[in-house]
Amino acid sequence: MKTKPTLQTRRKFLRTSMLGAAATWTLPVFLEKTFFALDALAADAATQAVTGKDGTVLVVLQMAGGNDGLNMVVPYADDAYHVARPRLRLASEQVLKVDHHIALNPKLTGVKSLYDEGHVAIVQGVGYPNPNRSHFRSTEIWQTASDADRTLNEGWLGRYFDNCCSGADPTVGVAIGEETPQAFAAKNPTGVTFSRPEQFRFRPSEPGNGQMSAEEILFRQLNETGGGDDGGTAASNAGGSIGAIPGKTKSDLSTLDFLQRTALDAQLSSDKILAIARKYKSTVPYPQGQLAASLNVIARMIAGGLPTRVYYASQGGFDTHAGQINTHDRLMGEFNDAVNAFVADLKQQGNFERVLVMTFSEFGRRVQENANGGTDHGAAAPMFVFGGAVKAGLFGKYPSLTDLDRGDLKFNTDFRSVYGTVLDKWLKAPSQTVLGRKFPALGIV
Amino acid sequence: MLTPLDKSKWNEANAAHLLNRAGFGATPVEIERARQNGLAATVRDFVEVKADAASVPPPAWAHPRNIRAQRMEIKAAKDRGENFRTKIRDVRMMEGDEMIDLRRWWLDRMLNGPAPLLEKMTLFWHGHFATSIQKVRDAYWMWLQNDTLRRNALGNFSGLVKKISRDPAMMIYLDLQQSRQEHPNENWARELMELFTVGIGNYTEQDIRESARAFTGYRIDFTTQQFRFAPFQQDHGQKKFMGRTGNLSGDDIIDTLVSRPACAQFIGRKLWRFFADDDPPAPIVDSVAATIRKHNFEIRPVLRDIFSSAEFYSDRARGSQIKSPVQYIVQTSKMLDAPAPPPLAAQNAMRQMGQILFAPPNVKGWDGGKQWISTSTLLFRYNFANYLINGDAILPANVRQPRQGADVGFGRAAQYAEQIKREPIDVAKLIPADLRTKPREIVGVLAKRLFQTAPAQKELDVFAEFLESRGPDPTDANLRELIHLMMSTPQFQLA
Repeated sequence: MKTKPTLQTRRKFLRTSMLGAAATWTLPVFLEKTFFALDALAADAATQAVTGKDGTVLVVLQMAGGNDGLNMVVPYADDAYHVARPRLRLASEQVLKVDHHIALNPKLTGVKSLYDEGHVAIVQGVGYPNPNRSHFRSTEIWQTASDADRTLNEGWLGRYFDNCCSGADPTVGVAIGEETPQAFAAKNPTGVTFSRPEQFRFRPSEPGNGQMSAEEILFRQLNETGGGDDGGTAASNAGGSIGAIPGKTKSDLSTLDFLQRTALDAQLSSDKILAIARKYKSTVPYPQGQLAASLNVIARMIAGGLPTRVYYASQGGFDTHAGQINTHDRLMGEFNDAVNAFVADLKQQGNFERVLVMTFSEFGRRVQENANGGTDHGAAAPMFVFGGAVKAGLFGKYPSLTDLDRGDLKFNTDFRSVYGTVLDKWLKAPSQTVLGRKFPALGIV
Repeated sequence: MLTPLDKSKWNEANAAHLLNRAGFGATPVEIERARQNGLAATVRDFVEVKADAASVPPPAWAHPRNIRAQRMEIKAAKDRGENFRTKIRDVRMMEGDEMIDLRRWWLDRMLNGPAPLLEKMTLFWHGHFATSIQKVRDAYWMWLQNDTLRRNALGNFSGLVKKISRDPAMMIYLDLQQSRQEHPNENWARELMELFTVGIGNYTEQDIRESARAFTGYRIDFTTQQFRFAPFQQDHGQKKFMGRTGNLSGDDIIDTLVSRPACAQFIGRKLWRFFADDDPPAPIVDSVAATIRKHNFEIRPVLRDIFSSAEFYSDRARGSQIKSPVQYIVQTSKMLDAPAPPPLAAQNAMRQMGQILFAPPNVKGWDGGKQWISTSTLLFRYNFANYLINGDAILPANVRQPRQGADVGFGRAAQYAEQIKREPIDVAKLIPADLRTKPREIVGVLAKRLFQTAPAQKELDVFAEFLESRGPDPTDANLRELIHLMMSTPQFQLA
């Protein structure tokens, strides 16, 4: 018989006890083999792990479509703003003043209170050199943290998972939505994506009646043992022999071993996520809407101690080419109310200090409003970074509204400075490895 | 050079392997026929595609439109202060519907067309010359590129690259149509070298600048949606490129690149990864590259040599590839002897599995291999198998009736339910009537159909025991349950 690896770390214990809970029969050879490989990974010093109860958490919040930064963080004291936006301008009397120059959109009351409490960093004039004004391309640039003239396959969070989280639980990254964001794309794909926890599970053919069906039970067996337990399949598989050697990385596993491990991961993650979703309900009321629903799921997962370092959620509809005033106000309201509920929830849980939320959008919008009461694709825009441990204040400089690049605000803070700071200071991960080079740090955490 | 496979090694497993990789899988009957026909004849059937196989009738809507007029109309409406957004939305809506139909059309070619290798190679080139509707924003142009790829899929590589340099979708995707003498655009020039011909490290920044000048003057006629050449925009000056000097044209640049040794290596590696093995050892790449040079970049004979080689049928290659999402959809439909999933369901499945035809993530195309699989995509594959087998009845309520306006093109919820309708598969097509009461035989027949690598006896026993637990006379529903289970395994993901 094989000797069981000794369990020295809490995480190893958790991992193996999860397995223990799920496996009701003897560990087959395949699993022993794979868990030896996992064990080797756990020994890797670079591996980032949280138990779910401690450790910092990053929540990335995408505002998809190009958020009008000028009407989110308003340069109300600048005449040029009022001149460029005869119909869209927010009057000085309505806005929530931050200082003598800038203010927040009137709908952002909760964000303003949070700012006054000292928990919001407003990073102004964020962008990148040679801005691209296509949604598709600019989103890709933000998601991969590439230069504007370079195409990268892996996302910036994917590179963080690859470089700093190898061997970590697959729920190290959780994206709420239908599609995995490109930011998660990695050499060794990890992270899970779902819109509702109930959806992230195997659906048997026969409808469930509260109990696990025979089909589901067999499914579990098949995907835990991988079936290739006596070596029959593994031997006839091309890469089988490679998998027999405990590898350092996931990519060292043979294709079948890799699939079997992912299947096991999927099942364990699914079990955990469903269990947390059943057990943890928020007592804080959340408003209606997609973003609120996503943040609610995230809050429950945090409460339940899912060992996640990065959550990802998004809010759509920011592409306001026409009739912007109502749409943008509604979006700001939705954002504010969802964030408000989320923060209240985290505070109640006692997790607010552990969570940092970062917003981004692929670009801001043109300074001059267009003939349809909307705005066209622009460039630089502000980002919010908030959380219990965030240092409040204004960072970067509000870009000039008269010294423009093809009608758009010029950036003064590279978005990768924000990413880099979050990586170095919050996730304690080497930003240079993840981003390819060092960007000036900001004092936001 | 590649070593030819010894005739005596031709067997059922190798026939199945060839039919999976050169095409999109096959039923047991087709595999047996290929085995009987022999290696040479089977490879010939794949490779010697009749000329008319590439002349595929386009979808009904795929014809050039006067885009200039369309844009003028929108602009005029804008100038008159009318609601031009509605017009733009109509155009987008039409584009969305056309793209769903274009994907349906291509999947149908793959599943039912007379020349599977032609479609497989078209898919290869689509990933190689990756171009996305997200930037091109016109379904006709996406179809036109697909047609160009198909017509040249098995022909000469440098000829194909030249055609692609004049392909409107590619020109828009890499901004070539904006390239002027005063401002040569380097986007196409860079990707031509980095991703299409020689690969990174085999050119200089100077090469990019010089070649960008050679491709000036390439334009698109927006009234006919065709390529046109604008001599006045062309840079007629001297260009220095990889040792050549003169008033070089775009085609000269392509000829120079294809003649570089790095090009055969680059294309050879990519072909081998696509057809045989994700992680090819260097000597095999050298062999494939030598084959490519021997045949002067004529793709047809190169493929004949690959599919006839012992290396292609080695243990390293067989049963070791993770099915791409497109392969998964088409091959599963073949295996289940069922129609392709309805267009909208197929498109959603491609999206969830990470390979939407005509919308690769970026100009690098799909990485493939292990990158197809994450916990989320694997679970999706399992649940999608359930839908393919049992039809739309198993879908949860929120999938069958999505929120209004859930996505562009799917906004019309009433039509949606209709568009994802699917009947359960007919198990009688897969399981002969005289085996119905013999669980072990049923499992044997299904395993042969569904798995590329035969499962161990112990696994077969587990499946048989499951079926036995359902009673002595299993219903169709029981059998579909069994098939779903067999497909909800890591092994089923391999081809």
